[in-house]
Formats: sequence, C-alpha cells, structure tokens
Amino acid sequence: MRLVAAWLSAMLLTATAHGQTPAPLRWGGDAEGGAPFVEADPSDPNKVTGFDVEIAELVAARLGRSPQFIQIAFQSLDQSARRGDFDIGLSGIEDIPARRQSLAASIPYYEFREVLTVREGDRDRYRTLADLRGRRVATLGGTMAYDLLLAGERSHGITAVSYDEDVHPYSDLANGRVDAVVLDHVLAERAMRRNTGLVTHPDALATGHYIAITAPENTALRDQVDTILRDAMRDGTLERIFRKSQVWNDDQPRLFERVLSTVGTNPLSTLGAPGTLGVESAVRLYLPSLFRAALITLALSCLSMALAVALGSLIAIGRVYGDSITRLLLTTYVEVMRGTPVLLQLFVIYYGLSSIIRLPAFLAALVGLGLNYAAYESEIYRSALEAVPRGQLDAARILGFTNIQTLRLIRAPQAFRIALAPMTNDFVALLKDSSLVSVITVVELTKQTQIFATNIGSWLLPGLLCAAMYLAMSLPLGYLARRLEEQWRMPGA
Amino acid sequence: MTATLTVRGLHLTRGTRAILQGVNLDACAGEIVALMGLSGSGKTTILRVIAGLDVPDAGEIAAGKTGMVFQFHYLFEHLSAIDNVTLAPIHVHGVTATEARVRAQSLLEQLGVGHRADALPRELSGGEAQRVAIARALAVDPPLLLLDEPTASLDPARRNDLGDALRALAATGRALVMTSHDDEFVREHASRVVVLANGVVVEEGDPGEVLSRPQHRATKALLQVERARHGVQ
Repeated sequence: MRLVAAWLSAMLLTATAHGQTPAPLRWGGDAEGGAPFVEADPSDPNKVTGFDVEIAELVAARLGRSPQFIQIAFQSLDQSARRGDFDIGLSGIEDIPARRQSLAASIPYYEFREVLTVREGDRDRYRTLADLRGRRVATLGGTMAYDLLLAGERSHGITAVSYDEDVHPYSDLANGRVDAVVLDHVLAERAMRRNTGLVTHPDALATGHYIAITAPENTALRDQVDTILRDAMRDGTLERIFRKSQVWNDDQPRLFERVLSTVGTNPLSTLGAPGTLGVESAVRLYLPSLFRAALITLALSCLSMALAVALGSLIAIGRVYGDSITRLLLTTYVEVMRGTPVLLQLFVIYYGLSSIIRLPAFLAALVGLGLNYAAYESEIYRSALEAVPRGQLDAARILGFTNIQTLRLIRAPQAFRIALAPMTNDFVALLKDSSLVSVITVVELTKQTQIFATNIGSWLLPGLLCAAMYLAMSLPLGYLARRLEEQWRMPGA
Repeated sequence: MTATLTVRGLHLTRGTRAILQGVNLDACAGEIVALMGLSGSGKTTILRVIAGLDVPDAGEIAAGKTGMVFQFHYLFEHLSAIDNVTLAPIHVHGVTATEARVRAQSLLEQLGVGHRADALPRELSGGEAQRVAIARALAVDPPLLLLDEPTASLDPARRNDLGDALRALAATGRALVMTSHDDEFVREHASRVVVLANGVVVEEGDPGEVLSRPQHRATKALLQVERARHGVQ
C-alpha cells in the first residue's frame, strides 16, 4: 500500500512539473521518401529537415512549445490524427473533402499542380491522360492524383498503378515498368533531379493544396494554427521557408492573397478533386473495385500456392531422397526463406533484381509469395513423407517397385493426406499474406480497402466489407479441407 | 528335390549386438518351413534378409522372386483391397489393368475375401487384411513366400482356415517360410521346423518329432513359454 501511495505521489509531482513547462507540440509526418516536405537530415539521420519541418517549428515556436517529431506512415496520417497520436500533422497533406469532413483541417498553405511526367522519348506521344489509353500510369496511393487516375481509368482507359511512396513510381517510369507518373509538381521536380531521361509537362492536370490536420475535436489548436499560418503569409516567413526549399513559385502569392481575403477556415475550391462522397454512394462506387481486388487476391493466392506446392514438393523430395550436398543446399534455401521477412523478399524480387530481370508487378508478387511459401510447404511435405510408416515402403520394395514408383504410387499419395490439413492452414495464411504485395504496386483486397478508407475518411465500413470478403474466400476452403480429411482419414492419424 | 531357397552362413550385427551368427536354411518347393525361437532369436530378421530388406554382413542367399506377408500386413492404406493386389502386376510387371483385376479378384476369391475387394484396409478385420496381404504377395506369382507370424492376428477357427490355405499354396509348388510362436499350428501344418537361439539354428526336423521330444534346451524353454501362454501346465 505504502509503495502504491509513494508511486501515486511521484506521478502527481511529475504531472505538476509538466503543468509548469508547456508540453511539446507533437507533430506527425512521414520521413520515408518525404523530401522536400519531411526527410531525414543527411548530416544527422536522427533529425528531420524539409519545409513542413520548418512550418512545424514555426507553429511550435509561436505557441511557445517545443516541436517533437513523430514518424507516421503517410497512408496512416489521418487515422493517427484521429487517434490523437500527435497534435498536428504536416507532411504534404492534401486538401480533399473526405479529410475536411473527418478531421479539423487548417487553411491551405501551399498550392501545387498535378503534373504528368513521361520518358523523354514519349514527350510528344503522351501529353495528356487521354494519350495514355491502355497504358500504366503510376502515382502515390491515397492521393488526389490517384483519384485523378481512377477517373482516368473510367474516362480514358488507362491503368492506374498505386505506390506506397513517391520514389519508385519515377524509377519504374525510367526503367519502363510504367509509362507515365502523375504527382504534384513538388515531387515531380525532385524526381527529375534523381532520374535522367524524364520530362514533365508543365500544364496542370489539376491543382490542389497542402494543409495541416488535427484531431476533429481539436478545433482550438487548428484555429491557432490558422492564425499562425496567416501571420506567416503576411510577414514573409512562409515565403522564406518555401524559397529555402526551392519550391516557391508564382502560384503561392496568389494563394496567400486568396486565403488572407477569406474569413474562417473554409476550403478553397479544390479543382480537379472528386466531389464529396456520401457513404452510400461511396460503397456503390468502391464495391466493384473491392470485388475486382478480391479476385486479384484470390487469383494471386491460388497461383502462388500452386507454385509453392510444386516447388515445395520438389524441395521435400530432394531433402528426403537427395545426397548430402542437395540436402544442404535445400535446407539453406528453406532456412533463408523462412528466416527473412517476405516483405524483404518481395522488395528484392521487384526492385532489387530490376536491373537483371524486370518482372511485372503481379508476376513478381506471384513469384515472391510462391518462393516464400514453397519453403513452408516443403517442410510440411518432408515431415509428411517421413510420417508414412516404414512398413509401407518395405512392402513396396518387396513387390519390386522402384524408388520413384514407390514415391509416386504409395508414399506421396499417403503423405498428401497427412499434409492436407497443414496445407490448408497455409493457404488461408497465404490468402492473408497476399496483402503484403501492395508494397510492389499490386492493388489487392487490403490495399483497395485502404484506398477506400482513406477516401471516405473511415475504416469501419471498408474494414467490414473487406473482412467479409476474406472470410468468404477462406471459410469454404476450411470446410473443403475438413471434408477431404474425413474422407481420407489415415488409421492412427 | 532342388531347393527354392538356400541360405548359408548368414551373419548380421546391429551395433554391438550379433543378431544372426551363421544361419543355414533351405526350403524346397511344396514345403512349409516354420522358424521358431524366443523373441529376439532372429526369426523376423532372417525373413527380412531373405526378402532383401536388410543387408547381411556375411553369408549367401539364393532365392528367386520372393513374396512377403508382414505381421502387421502393411497393406497400402490409401488403396482398396483389390487395388493393393493389382498395383505391382500393373506397374512392376506390365500386366494390363483388366487382366490384373481378373486375376486379383480370383486370388481374393480363393482366399475367401472376394466380397471385400472394394474395402479399404482400415475397414478390414485382422484376418481379412492378412488374406488380402497374401493375395498381394501372390499376385506376382513368387515361388517363395515368406510369412511373419501369420497366426498372430487370428482367432482359433481362423487359424485352421489359414493352415489349410497355406498347405494349398505349398501344394501348388511354392516354398513357404514362416515364423511362428504357435507350436500347435506348426505341429499341424508345417512340414519342417527350424529352431533358432541367439542367431544360430539349434535344432531342426519334423515338427512332431522336434516339438514332442525337444533335444536342445532352447527348444524346451520355447515350449515352456508357449504352454504358459496358453495356460497349459
């Protein structure tokens, strides 16, 4: 009891001490590929630099608080703001209606243009989205640009390809995996410096704005941020910050003028952005794409599993029947594949090997998952082969069967029945692991759900629909496996 | 009479344990040879060496095509009774599926399990499984048939049926070598008994003779154990 009391009073003291010095301003952003907004400082990777960093520091300074950076994945910024993981989010966050509905959003502080980047040789061929019919056009998922491309899928017959970050769309454009990239001009200009042989058409496909976000109930902080931003527009602080990052242009003074002449925090017209979506129409709009994504998940899982089963069988046979060198090589393969994250393997296959072999995303996903699961399958088959009673093999040998015949006619069929249950478990696991392939731009069910959730500003409905679709795929499988198992039950198994 | 099976000087050591220490054994066509001995005397090992499942350290074996019926049958669990019988003729001997089936069905009929042709091994009784296992071994028509403890899974009524079946097989010109604990069965159905102790043959001859007037103390011990097992004083 005394200990608890001592602890409580210590906590109270700490709390009082905090009350005297203001709490730090926790601000969230994504430093991964986040230049020039937020990026790790090249001279000190523990610090971040970029114009959003300076705006965060400005806001903190004028509030009399110290800034504290919190790393949040770009796609999760909205959810984290709502959960209260940070006080204010600043990371090139776009002003879109769903965000304004579900969060407290600041006044726009920067105007960007969505621009089309293509390879130099295609400069004249691909000038607009309409020129790109049947072509793959890349962008960052969950952005205005992605919505623009989805609209383009319907109106111009392009294929939208979504990335989780803004670096690989351009490198994949340079190496021919996609034919164009649509992103804001800030990112496009950065990318042009990194990659040679690319050109960006100057005309805007749409314009948009960056804003700061806070939790929906934290309008007090949002209002303070608005005041600070307005002051910084008037006194030239923002211009200085943008000039330092080389993103200042003629659009900005016009934006500042418009913002300063309006009262309150009403958004400016967000040209090119889709209109506000109600839940019902959002479901109608996204349901077909969820079904399509579910089909991709199913096809990818089935094909990867087929590859894993074929390869896993060969590995298992090699490990049971092979000589010591074969066994060592195969064991090494199995341990490496099981001992490293499948995410890493996907990155290596898709990006790491792209200078040697440039696999299309779906094929890379199929191969990546297949190679990884082959390691797990092989272990199941190996132990199943070894679980077939010795007497069965003795009986086969006396009858004159060769080793291969014994394997094909007696051992493998019996092992298959033993392996069936763990195999089904693996297939259900694969069905869910297939969501990892969104990192290499395959839009499967989970990714599509995430896009859906970002655009309507809520995970509840998309999450339920997504879960229902996964269950609709995995439950029948489990049922089928149980049926087959009962039918084939081995004595003593 | 030429021997279907000739075994000379068989030695086999596992680790430090000498299991066979110079075994000689013959079996002729039409003969049922019973190997007897206490557990661990090397009976089953001799069958496995003859069948080619275990490799001896020394010794010679001359035997033609050999069939074997295991104590626990080892029927292929994923195949029906008749498919167990046809598998080797089709895949090892190139017999057509139709021909193999006809022959398998007639073998199963002869052994009294024709009506169980489509049953899976797990659905068969011990006696039925044994008959299917015999049919499987006979399907490739081996001159030599090895049986490991064939009476172990049978009730007394079934034992006599089996004895009749084995004698009928021997009568068609096959040599049969079986291991057995069952001196009653051996006395009634075997043409010769070979008694093993510690990996050597200690006594052999006519079953009535050897089992009624055992000479070697290993044979006497064996019979005592058997009597105790059957509750006979």
